[in-house]
Amino acid sequence: MSQTSSPGRLRVAIVDDEEPARTLLREYLTAHPEVEVVAECANGFEAIRAATELDPDLMLLDIQMPGLSGFEVLELLEHEVAVVFITAYDEHAVHAFEVHALDYLLKPFSRERLTEALTQAKKHLRGPQPWLPAIAGAARPGGLPLSRVLVREGPQVHVIPVEALDVAEARDDYVCLRTRGREYRKQQTLGELAAQLDPAKFVRVHRSFIVNLDRVARLERYAKDSRLAVLKDGTKLPVSRAGYARLRDKL
Amino acid sequence: MHPILAYRGRMGPYLAAWVPLGGLLAGLLRIAGSPWGEAAAIALPMAIIYGFICLAAWYPCKSASPHSVPFLRVITTQTMAAAVSAMLWLFLVDTWVVLLEQFPVFSKAAERFPRLVPVILAAGVVLYALAAALHYLLMEFEEARQAERSAFELEVLAREAELRALRAQIDPHFLFNALNSISSLTGSDPGAARTMCLELADFLRESVRLGSVVSIPLADELALAEKYLAVERARFGSRLRVEREVSAEAGACGVPPLVLQPLVENAVRHGVANLVGGGVVRIAARRLGERLHLTVENPMDPEAAVRPGEGVGLANVRDRLTALYGQEASVEVRQDAGHFRVELAWPAVPASAQ
Repeated sequence: MSQTSSPGRLRVAIVDDEEPARTLLREYLTAHPEVEVVAECANGFEAIRAATELDPDLMLLDIQMPGLSGFEVLELLEHEVAVVFITAYDEHAVHAFEVHALDYLLKPFSRERLTEALTQAKKHLRGPQPWLPAIAGAARPGGLPLSRVLVREGPQVHVIPVEALDVAEARDDYVCLRTRGREYRKQQTLGELAAQLDPAKFVRVHRSFIVNLDRVARLERYAKDSRLAVLKDGTKLPVSRAGYARLRDKL
Repeated sequence: MHPILAYRGRMGPYLAAWVPLGGLLAGLLRIAGSPWGEAAAIALPMAIIYGFICLAAWYPCKSASPHSVPFLRVITTQTMAAAVSAMLWLFLVDTWVVLLEQFPVFSKAAERFPRLVPVILAAGVVLYALAAALHYLLMEFEEARQAERSAFELEVLAREAELRALRAQIDPHFLFNALNSISSLTGSDPGAARTMCLELADFLRESVRLGSVVSIPLADELALAEKYLAVERARFGSRLRVEREVSAEAGACGVPPLVLQPLVENAVRHGVANLVGGGVVRIAARRLGERLHLTVENPMDPEAAVRPGEGVGLANVRDRLTALYGQEASVEVRQDAGHFRVELAWPAVPASAQ
């Protein structure tokens, strides 16, 4: 589905929930003949859809948006597009950018400043962007636990509030999230997810399982050194010795 | 203020205290040679009369306060006052004795009077000294209480000023976004850019001005919110819709400045701005009996990620209202399934009366 752009062309998606802000970017970009604005998105969901369907080279991404923030969009993008962040005022974001030596635009910005950012961005288009997961984490304010888990299925984004999450299970190279009788895949390691969830509500009971404490009905002894957690819906999960120690403290 | 006359509850006990003093005086007069009946008839009413005279001790006590005047001067002033009071009293006792003499029972009273003179004078000086000491004590007590009260009032005022100054700080996010919108409009619609500049300037000017006043009519506070919303509407377009319902009675009430503004800003920033389709901010104000009720309601995304700084504006409003109205202030917050509502209420005061 990737549409190969002609060399030197830059296919740009503008993502900002404010109409005047998008107008300004469009106006500034007319001075760059190599730039083609392929999408204008008013929120993060539209941005993910545009990224999937139009495969832009670069996203000019506002941070404070309804639905999904710019950082959440970034987390879901998975390295497929270069990003220039735009924000009006956000101490956490600016701190995160500075820590990772990333370029960003502060509203209001000049034509020249945008040109500079485009030049920088062109240098690492399609290249590896190892800072991506780190910055999404760094931008989460004040080490607050995750309040919702985002899952992308192609152009679509599912928002799972953590209270609705029953079990997370490590599979090959992704995590399987069980919620409200459905399963979702998320490209993430179970360890990363465990670190983001509230330890008072979620316990890693096994190398491959995190469970929502509210869902645990009882524990059963299974063999000499192993146990099973029986959930309220009857599901049984293996509990490792370390997992049992963690669980015993919370129950 | 007179430490006894100015307080309704003090005059009674003060005069009552003179009754046993009169008894004591009667005893002294008896020792000086008057029979019991005569001694009592002279001492008891004259003690009460002297009680009234001694209320005047307030004047020398005020002018010769040990805090501001050398000790020697306190002594001389009070000695003179004691002498004058005792002499005046002696004169009044003499008059009273002449009146008593008209009754056959007391026919010898005037005859015995010269023997009573030194006792009356000495008692006059001692009793005056007691009264002066009481006045000093009460004045000192009042001063301490006054100091305590004004310290408390100052504290409340200082806290209120501090919170108001905090409120008058403009949200930088709002400001930078507004400037960005103006920057955009300059290219596409210069007329609208100018209008927005003016609206923003109006809002800033009002915010700064309101940081320095204590009370404003609610109508002015609503006008400020209106300016803020006009600027935000340029950013959010049709996503931001506003409904208001303000009774004329409520609009004329006085409110602490910038008490509504943080709630309106929250409704936009944490409510409507987080909704892809936007929503309606509803502002209502009405007067119910003796209380003014202000309500701000907005839809919100229950699944939006929590951001730092939420709740600070609301906590400030709560603190300010508590500092100003104590138990009479109420702040009610209701949040359910995508809807947020804050209701403030406190005793209604007409704007002109403040």
